[in-house]
Amino acid sequence: MNRKTHRVKWSGLLDLTQSISGILLAIFLWVHLCLVASILLGAEAMQWVAKTMELSFLSADGHGYPWVVTVMAVLIGVLILLHVLVALHKLPLTLKQQRALNKQMHVIPHEDTKLWRWQAITGVIVLLAAPVHLWLVGAAPETIGPYGSADRIWNQGGWLLYVPLLLAVELHAAVGIYRVVLKWGLAGDDMTRIQLRKAKSIASAIFILVGLASLVAFMPHAS
Amino acid sequence: MKLIYTDSLVVGAGLAGLRVAIASKEQGLDTLVLSLIPAKRSHSAAAQGGMQASLGNTAKGMGDDEDVHFQDTVKGSDWGCDQKVARMFAHCAPKAVRELANWGVPWTRVTAGPRDVIVNAEKVTIEEAEAAHGLINARDFGGTKKWRTCYTADGTGHSLLYAVDNKAISMDIPVHERMEALRLIHDGKRCHGVIARCLVTGELRAYVAKATTIATGGYGRIYEVSTNAIICEGIGQALALETGVAALGNMEAVQFHPTAIVPVGILTTEGCRGDGGLLRDKDGYRFMPDYEPEKKELASRDVVSRRMTEHMRKGKGVESPYGNHLWLDITLLGKKHIDTNLREVKEICENFLGIDPVKEWIPVRPTQHYSMGGIRTDHTGESPQLKGLFSVGEAACWDMHGFNRLGGNSLAETVVGGMIIGKYVAEFCQHNSLEINTEIVDGALNAVNAEIDGLLTSLGKESAFQLKLEMQQVMMERVGIFRNGPELQQAVAALQALLKRSQQLGLQCKKRHANPELVEALRVKRMLKVALTVACGAAARTESRGAHAREDYPQRNDKEWLNRTLATWPDENALEPQLNYEALDVMAMELPPGYRGYGIDNAIAHPDTEAREQQITAILAALPKTATRQQKQQALMAFELPEELMPDNERLVDRLQPQQQLNLKK
Amino acid sequence: MNQQTTSMSPENASGRLLNFHIFRYDPQQKGDKPRTEVYQLRETPGMTIFIALNQIRQQQDPSLQFDFVCRAGICGSCAMVINGLPTLACRTLTSKFKQGDITLMPLPGFELIGDLSVDTGKFMRELAERLKLWLHPHHHEIDVHSIEAPMAPEQAAALYELERCVECGVCVSACATKQMRETFVGAVGMMKIARFELDSRDGRTAEDFYHVIGNQDGVFGCMTLLGCQDNCPKDLPHMQQIAYLRRKMAATIL
Repeated sequence: MNRKTHRVKWSGLLDLTQSISGILLAIFLWVHLCLVASILLGAEAMQWVAKTMELSFLSADGHGYPWVVTVMAVLIGVLILLHVLVALHKLPLTLKQQRALNKQMHVIPHEDTKLWRWQAITGVIVLLAAPVHLWLVGAAPETIGPYGSADRIWNQGGWLLYVPLLLAVELHAAVGIYRVVLKWGLAGDDMTRIQLRKAKSIASAIFILVGLASLVAFMPHAS
Repeated sequence: MKLIYTDSLVVGAGLAGLRVAIASKEQGLDTLVLSLIPAKRSHSAAAQGGMQASLGNTAKGMGDDEDVHFQDTVKGSDWGCDQKVARMFAHCAPKAVRELANWGVPWTRVTAGPRDVIVNAEKVTIEEAEAAHGLINARDFGGTKKWRTCYTADGTGHSLLYAVDNKAISMDIPVHERMEALRLIHDGKRCHGVIARCLVTGELRAYVAKATTIATGGYGRIYEVSTNAIICEGIGQALALETGVAALGNMEAVQFHPTAIVPVGILTTEGCRGDGGLLRDKDGYRFMPDYEPEKKELASRDVVSRRMTEHMRKGKGVESPYGNHLWLDITLLGKKHIDTNLREVKEICENFLGIDPVKEWIPVRPTQHYSMGGIRTDHTGESPQLKGLFSVGEAACWDMHGFNRLGGNSLAETVVGGMIIGKYVAEFCQHNSLEINTEIVDGALNAVNAEIDGLLTSLGKESAFQLKLEMQQVMMERVGIFRNGPELQQAVAALQALLKRSQQLGLQCKKRHANPELVEALRVKRMLKVALTVACGAAARTESRGAHAREDYPQRNDKEWLNRTLATWPDENALEPQLNYEALDVMAMELPPGYRGYGIDNAIAHPDTEAREQQITAILAALPKTATRQQKQQALMAFELPEELMPDNERLVDRLQPQQQLNLKK
Repeated sequence: MNQQTTSMSPENASGRLLNFHIFRYDPQQKGDKPRTEVYQLRETPGMTIFIALNQIRQQQDPSLQFDFVCRAGICGSCAMVINGLPTLACRTLTSKFKQGDITLMPLPGFELIGDLSVDTGKFMRELAERLKLWLHPHHHEIDVHSIEAPMAPEQAAALYELERCVECGVCVSACATKQMRETFVGAVGMMKIARFELDSRDGRTAEDFYHVIGNQDGVFGCMTLLGCQDNCPKDLPHMQQIAYLRRKMAATIL
């Protein structure tokens, strides 16, 4: 293999990395939300989930290892960073590109392109909000639980961060998965595309509803 | 002034022009193509049905060869063609098809085993040979004895044009787009190139070349409704005509295609009928068998068009706000066939008529389609009057079509003619030097400049758009499918009046660059002259031959009219062309004039016909019994071709054992 | 007169009044600025944008620039943006627009010649040269006198399916990626590569194609916005083919 070939193949690697990191993040996101939603089943349920996540079943005293959460936060942070780095060069970064995009959207307002613009916007929001969230939980993993989280959300103004993050990340993830499926041809004909679009919208809606409900469910636990 | 030198200059980037350019470039010549539009937009792309070549791969094409193709072509021309040229053509058509396969044309292939086709409104099963599997397929077309029309679904022209243009791009042949040639640079004996105007900037350029090849297509747009692209306005013919020296041949030979949709005149391919589609009248009755019991819908185009017109005159047409029409019924072919092999037709029906041809009949009527006439050339494609001027394809009267062209022979002519004439053009360039006389170049350029200045400063009140429309209407009404003396005289007079008025053209838009009105004005003056060659030629030809049908002279008159009309315009200010005639020599024909096989045989025979027939019998009798068909043919009418194109064509039957051959023929 | 018909327009047709809002700009004219001009026209049955624009030019404004060639949806010359959708003008019926307001803009992403006319030809030719969009046969010298090499009938049919592109430029104009990244090859380029990749007569390998489109200007720069897929007047399977190429190119990494 000559040098040129080697250099060129980075493009493929970057594109693959973007898709794979995106899929991993989406899976993490949805699992994470499901776990958090355990609050809907009551404080005890969530307590159990939080402890289990800290691998309480492995520790002798049953308290688990809160640093596991920190490690997860760091890992996710790294994954996000990777995802951002490989995706960044696709965004309109220069003024010229932004103008071109705006003009294009004005002349030809195409649906899937609008969707992508929302994905880009939500991506930026996630990029700003996620590190704060990761820092908050990663720095104080022992506080995760029905009471600590409720305190963070409702007494320390965490909801101001979580509501926009929830909306942004759920839109971003569902559109992202939809695009990855089409991009690599995992879906067949046009019919499946229409179905996929529907599935994507339903996924966003459900996760946002579950997320909002969970936030509300924390409220009674905030002392 | 910008002067550009090249060896081989080609005007027109359709299939014929590009093929000549490729042939020139292959010989290492500097080659340049001028085009009004991007090459891939050329009208060649619109040929849906296919091109004829006697490959003989399909069961229904077995037994086909150059001889049969030649005979079909000559009969189709109503004996008006140059038989040597028809021979050159039939001989090279298989070569062109095979060459194109190597340039990327996918060609629809034969699938071995049984397949259902529609013949004469009935389902027939034909068995394709195992040995033919994967070879190039062919479909049935009008006026042919065998299934000979090679095709790529129903986008044959598209796939050919794309393959050939891609080839030209791979060879780095420049195409100067949006350049309109307006005048030939010549000294009355030798052509030196063209003066062209850039349609974007308005800049005038002199292109000086050893050989200039005009490949600008036909002149269909002198008619109001035509299947032709809107750029097929006969400007190439006008370029030659305006030299005053070069002649146009058989301009009155204009073909009307039976099945263009109503009202817009977009073509539905002959493949519709070739594949089994039927023509019906207002009662849903299939009328063609009444007129042509043998070939029915698949009689020659001129015949079907006239029969349709006759039938409508009997009151059997379907009335519509756009005049009468008939129905083309392809519903019997089924959805699958239409979706794959006639999809362009389906798209056209959906987009322009809002109907589904799988379920509904298509409104059609005969519409101007093809120009058999054009710049008269010899068999090498060169103008006999103006050295260094070549022409090829529909623009030319190379004359393989005579007075009627067979379906599938025009697409074939572009690539086959381009292949042959391209070699002659290259040879010409190799044997001639670039002659540059700046005085002549300046003269030509100044003339065009003065014409444009005149138009831009003119205080005249005539509108170019209006004149064009009036010309088109005159042609539609008086120089159509059926013609007669009085109406043709009226047409000539009306066109002359328009030509006079065209001296008073005035423009509203005074821009020197990108000015559509100026373009129209420059063209309409030229188109009027071309239209006059058609009308005058038709008025003078007092017989009916091929597509030229005179109601007042219904017989084909070989005795007086077995000749080619040559139109020139020696006096720039004259109001009509000069007509001369070039006799066709019966004694040199391989196939002397005979019955074409349609209607009653009422032709007035040529005095030499009988003598030639006897001579042919004698020549053949004198040959040894073992003589091959090629040897017989050479004895009757030897024809020449560039050496590389002379070898015989191999066919499937040549490779099979005698026993298998027998099986195939069964 | 003996012909059964003479005119394209029926007698006494009086349809509704259409308002055409047309982008006007002549880049060569000093001082000219982009603007929209409104023209009114009486609709006739079966009227297409082709018929309408010609009427406007002939009767109202002879300087109006636009491109038509075949006027039958075959040649790809007349693509423009009609009420926000890029498509072929010649086969767009005015009756499609219930409101009677029709806005025409030139295709974005191409050099503007003037008004509705853009230079797609130059773009396509440069693209073909850059991506080498022609058949690279295994054998350059062939014997045209002998029987052709056979090809599977299914492959021939599949090739034609991909070859139906008319280079109208709609996919390029509808692609926001292309608008933001000038060197991006667009769906037209990738579709053609897919066509040659499928062709058994073409000698190029996946590795060869990777050199051409395995980069940010090719399949890995495409963000699957699908403007191409949704607007292609020939309904070509852009999404499917680009995905196929992307998998194929990605597979060469492994």
